[in-house]
Amino acid sequence: MGSANPAAIAQRSAHSAPRESIEPASRHCPGQGSMWFFVIGDLWIFSCYFACYIHDRARHPEPFLQGQQLLSQGIGVLNTVILLTSSLFVALCVQATRAREIVTASRFLALGFACGAGFMLVKGGEWYLKIHAGFPESTEPFFVYYFMFTGLHVVHVALGLLILALLWRELRGTKEPRVEFAETSATYWHMVDLLWIAIFALLYLVR
Amino acid sequence: MSESAWALGAAAPHSATVEARRGRSPKLDQWICFGSIPFFYTLFGLIFVLLARIMPPPSPTASIADVLAYMQAPNLALGVALLSLTLGLASLSSGVIVVQMKRMEGVSPALPYAYLAALAVAGVPGCLFPGLVFALGCYRPGYTPQIQQMLYDLGFLSFVGSLGVFVIQYLVFAIAIFLDRRTIFPKWLGYLTIWALVTELVAVPIWITRTGPFAWDGLLSFYLGTIIFVGWEFCMCVCLYRAIKNQPLEELIGRGTAHG
Repeated sequence: MGSANPAAIAQRSAHSAPRESIEPASRHCPGQGSMWFFVIGDLWIFSCYFACYIHDRARHPEPFLQGQQLLSQGIGVLNTVILLTSSLFVALCVQATRAREIVTASRFLALGFACGAGFMLVKGGEWYLKIHAGFPESTEPFFVYYFMFTGLHVVHVALGLLILALLWRELRGTKEPRVEFAETSATYWHMVDLLWIAIFALLYLVR
Repeated sequence: MSESAWALGAAAPHSATVEARRGRSPKLDQWICFGSIPFFYTLFGLIFVLLARIMPPPSPTASIADVLAYMQAPNLALGVALLSLTLGLASLSSGVIVVQMKRMEGVSPALPYAYLAALAVAGVPGCLFPGLVFALGCYRPGYTPQIQQMLYDLGFLSFVGSLGVFVIQYLVFAIAIFLDRRTIFPKWLGYLTIWALVTELVAVPIWITRTGPFAWDGLLSFYLGTIIFVGWEFCMCVCLYRAIKNQPLEELIGRGTAHG
């Protein structure tokens, strides 16, 4: 952590040198520091949203309970599995990039991207069904939260897909793809995953 | 400091020495525009918070009597009149931001123009229009309470509901920062811009809810977005200051001669 730490100095000076020269250091912070700044801040913002939801729900439990019963847990579980799988693929892609197996890495990346797009499709289908079926007016407080949380999350997923597409360009279009770029993208993607798990638990499971 | 040191240097191009001898900084225009930002926001705060009391917004469920009291407050019209005089100042800050954005490398020139246009579009429903609507309410004392209430609703829906219009401005700015290879603005400012974007999206449900955190005076749709906006604006100022300060004078001299 401190500036006198020889491992940290070695890492910093080895920035442009091949990765192999770095020990499999446990202190290595994957990806750019600014992405971690973003992740922590974004999680903080979402904690504010969640705190607000929990507070509201505790004050008027009835509309929330009724609304939650109208959600399909099956679709929620399906989307959770899809997103966790995509996170696994993205993690495997980072590993392959570190090992300089670029073809394997891009294959995993494509699979991760496909799962992310699948998540958005399922979510769109769920919204369509929900809007089509309608919901009683008494459950409105819950559904405002539902559409806002899932909507904000989908915006994050869309941004994540954009980042994964940029990573694809990095892997396929450059001679020496930057490992740091792959790590930064994966950091963001895992945050999207983490956010979904929290939203899934809050909206679909906690009753 | 670095400018004067550079101007004294032997290798300084001729035109820059002339500029320095005249006692003028080649960045004077940018510094003037930059100086308008704290001035504008001080006035903005004074008008919106103290005079017109648009911020923090009163409740959408306020009684008719409260709505009338709000719409006929003596300082409201004064605040709006001042607002119409000062809003144009915002164009100075946009100008200097675009100057810095155009220095970016690997960024399409369409982005700074899009930024400028998006901000100009958003400033109308987000700033001027609500003021005009409120001023209209207190213009003629004969308006019925229902009309007053409608103007009150329209003013606040326009003020808070237009936050979504700023989303494109933030998006364009964030993309430009991420693409920029010269790091005119630090990458973390790009991420901060994404937060601002996300928190402004939350203002969308104000059109359908009148109570709770998603109403126009709600914790999530108004307060969280405003807190992040204030933080963003502050960081933006700091980064803009650094960007102007670190801009090499050679760039400006070149530009000066190119334009005569």
